[in-house]
Amino acid sequence: MAEQDTSSILVADLGSVHTRLLLLDLVEGQYRLVAASRARTTAEPPLSRVALGLEHAAAQMAEFTGHTLLDPQGQQMFLPENEHGQGVGAFLATSSAGRPMRVFLVGLTRELSLEAAQHALAGSYVTITDTLTPDDARSEEAQINALLNSNSDMIFIVGGTDDGAEELVKQLLAKVELALSLVHRGTPPTVLFAGNQVLRRAVKARLEQYTSVFTTKNVRPTAQEEQLFPAQIELALVYDEYRSKSAGGFDAVGRQSDVGLVPTTQGYISAMRYMAALPGPGIGPLCVDVGSANSLIIAGVEREPIYTIRTDLGVGHNIVRALETVTPARVQQWLPFEMDDEWLRNYAHNKALRPATVPATTEELLIEQALAREIVRELVTDARPLWGTGESALLPHFHPIIAAGAVLTETQHPAVAAMLLLDALQPVGLVDLYLDPHNLIASLGVVAYLRPLVTVQALENGGLVHLGTAFCPLGRVRKGRKAIKVQIRYGNKQKLTHTVRGGEIWRAPLLPGEPVEVRIQLSRGLSFGGKRRLKRRLVTGVAGLIFDARGRPLAMPRPRDRAAQLMAWLQAMSAPMQPAPLPEEELPEEALLPSLEDLTPEALAVLSEEE
Amino acid sequence: MPYYPEMTVIQGFAAVVRTRKLPPHAIADAPQVVLNEPVDAVQTVLAGEILGDYHIIDVAAELRVKNPTPQRMDEILRVDEGMRVQFGQELARVGKGRRTRVLYAPLEGVVTAIMGNRLVLQESRQTIEVKARVPGQVSAADTHQVTISGRGALIQCAWGNGRYAYRAYRFLPPDGFAGLSKMDPRISEYRNVVIISPAPINMGDLLVAQQQEVAGVVAPSMSADLREFAMQLTFPVLLTEGFGQRRPTTLLYRLLQENMGRQAAFDAVLPERWAEDRPEIMIPLPAEGVAPPAPSPDQALLVGTQVRITRAPWDGLVGTIEALPAAPQVLENGLRVPCAQVRLSADRIVPVPLANVELLG
Repeated sequence: MAEQDTSSILVADLGSVHTRLLLLDLVEGQYRLVAASRARTTAEPPLSRVALGLEHAAAQMAEFTGHTLLDPQGQQMFLPENEHGQGVGAFLATSSAGRPMRVFLVGLTRELSLEAAQHALAGSYVTITDTLTPDDARSEEAQINALLNSNSDMIFIVGGTDDGAEELVKQLLAKVELALSLVHRGTPPTVLFAGNQVLRRAVKARLEQYTSVFTTKNVRPTAQEEQLFPAQIELALVYDEYRSKSAGGFDAVGRQSDVGLVPTTQGYISAMRYMAALPGPGIGPLCVDVGSANSLIIAGVEREPIYTIRTDLGVGHNIVRALETVTPARVQQWLPFEMDDEWLRNYAHNKALRPATVPATTEELLIEQALAREIVRELVTDARPLWGTGESALLPHFHPIIAAGAVLTETQHPAVAAMLLLDALQPVGLVDLYLDPHNLIASLGVVAYLRPLVTVQALENGGLVHLGTAFCPLGRVRKGRKAIKVQIRYGNKQKLTHTVRGGEIWRAPLLPGEPVEVRIQLSRGLSFGGKRRLKRRLVTGVAGLIFDARGRPLAMPRPRDRAAQLMAWLQAMSAPMQPAPLPEEELPEEALLPSLEDLTPEALAVLSEEE
Repeated sequence: MPYYPEMTVIQGFAAVVRTRKLPPHAIADAPQVVLNEPVDAVQTVLAGEILGDYHIIDVAAELRVKNPTPQRMDEILRVDEGMRVQFGQELARVGKGRRTRVLYAPLEGVVTAIMGNRLVLQESRQTIEVKARVPGQVSAADTHQVTISGRGALIQCAWGNGRYAYRAYRFLPPDGFAGLSKMDPRISEYRNVVIISPAPINMGDLLVAQQQEVAGVVAPSMSADLREFAMQLTFPVLLTEGFGQRRPTTLLYRLLQENMGRQAAFDAVLPERWAEDRPEIMIPLPAEGVAPPAPSPDQALLVGTQVRITRAPWDGLVGTIEALPAAPQVLENGLRVPCAQVRLSADRIVPVPLANVELLG
């Protein structure tokens, strides 16, 4: 039996704004996340060397772990792992930074071939420039000009089921060949062929003299079947080559990585493939990542990752386009103050000029959080048809829900992060909410390419931040009426009861990691899967437990009540932990919890002595 | 833990090295400059041609050639691959005497390929000339790029409308654009000079500038809604801070004030994420001593460093790093982020997120 590889793994994620570095190592026989660091991404001019930001992040990590990572001789970027435990066993890298790859689609039919190609591309950072099919009404000359003037980085050729149509695909190939033969200046686009397998050799023979040609299995081997995974793997290789050629010095990092430079989304897809297979409540996990330039949503449906990436939505580099897409009016509905459209546009343009900056005033923070909510809603709208979970406007029962991207993970309070997810996704039922502040999921997905056991162990060993369980009953009760009667019993038999009223969201002030028993009684009009009573044993998260009685679908406040209502929701989530309000019912005084602020180490020591 | 912020150069005297390039798909003309020779800001340093659409001509079909063998096509064609042709130039000829049929070039361009009986002609679209944009000396040159080294004051800006001017500049009169609008443009001292406005500008201001035939406008900010309009103007519009109502960086306007009367290069490059050029103002200065080298953009933030704050509530203010606390600080809005303590005045020190400061080169 081969000896198990027990070396450490360093994973870099080169984002548009931040370069994140994670160190995974063995702790008591199990792999876990042992350190994380972050530096500004340095791919753009004037630095134009992405490795610099990586070195900054590595130096930072070395400073607080005492673990030497960088090669002091400078012969290679990272020091190979030695017997003293210094250095790195393996280095892997993902990237979402840089200009999306421009792709020209060539296929036999729009309904089958091109649709399958678009599904394969959905997990990559690409922009589709144009398409070409045999029924294209343009003249041959116009088609050739479209191919060449689109400035595409890749031509993705699909079409013909295996053992199916050949002649029409050959005619399309002839046009691509003619176009490529005319490129005398600049770089010709790379070709990826994922069509009729009979033509693989012919494609190579005809096109390889002009450009790099990648071939892979058919995205649609039969009329009924889609086969995307091989094409996605090959796309990752094309992306690696594209990134290596792009400005920013990505090639230097790609050379160091054992798997080249993998698109961050591919990391997500790989990890989600594992997470979707895990048993649990709900139809599968859901992950949303709102970045500076790109945003994505990925769901595990029937054990398969279903994903949507938008390379035009972000809260930094692409904030202007995001605001145009979601419209200022949709952003304003989440703002507890008046803000005109022009002011919002000015804000967006300023942020796009300096995408790495963070909001330092309350107004600006709330604007970015409002925009993030609407970006997530836009992603859900795009993704919903792909989930195939029915026509309902409500979110299918995904569990757990995980958020990534600084705008969602770095909030004024963890409970605010939870509320952003609840507002944007509007889940129904009981759902556990998590944050992925270090982009661990995408990194572990790439680790799974080489050492799947590490992925399994690191995910199980708590690399994510558990925000807590949210109770979101279906239905609505009138504002101010009793909606959810909550009783929480602690391990020490203390009890907390509270009534959440219609239109309210309430965070139970509990310390994280505490095992509790929660009993719920819902008012008429609300239910959890048709039931009005519920009992659950849970462990609390960093945001405690959250009870959302604002209705599903979420009842947005009327314009005149908006400011007060939104502020009330925000305060309920972000106020420092206070003792729970006295319920109408009798509540023994000793059942009241101390506030978090009171829980200094000294106070905790006194409490444990009392216990 | 060191933090490496972004940098904006606002320097009274600096070595300015700029590389000008032709697009990679352009066909370069002969060199326009000589190594080590001085160049003016408006001088052409590179020239070339960008080709446009491809035209596929079926020569055999056009000339009704029934048996277009390779040898037959060789006899017929009057052009070779790579040859430049003029509109109306003979491309192919067949037959003799009264039966002669001639195929003429339908446009000016280049014969990109000859494939069997087909000829591909790529039309000439535009000739391009790349200007130096900063005065200096040619320090490197090849067919597709030229490097120019100059010296002077350098001010990097936030946004430009894609225009350029090399002109003298003046500050707005005390009564602003309202006062400017009352002047007779034919005799106005603001005509053909670049106007410096220390206050944000609006649509009316740009219209006055246009009417007064100024050579350009520099201001701290304007509404983002004016971008499209500004980009249609023929003169450069440079914003030093950004969009909306932004506070001007005093240091920057003081530098402009100190060099009043000189000509300057107002390069209002439209900022683009992957482009090396930033919108900037360069005021050439006489060569006295050695100019300090261009500052390295990869510098760690240190105590005592001068920085500019880029986000509200202190945006546009220049201060000095007083301390770099190891632990993240809680901001007024509740965010807990790594911060610097920045001294804004003798009695005011404020916490500013590290991400919201930029070094001043």
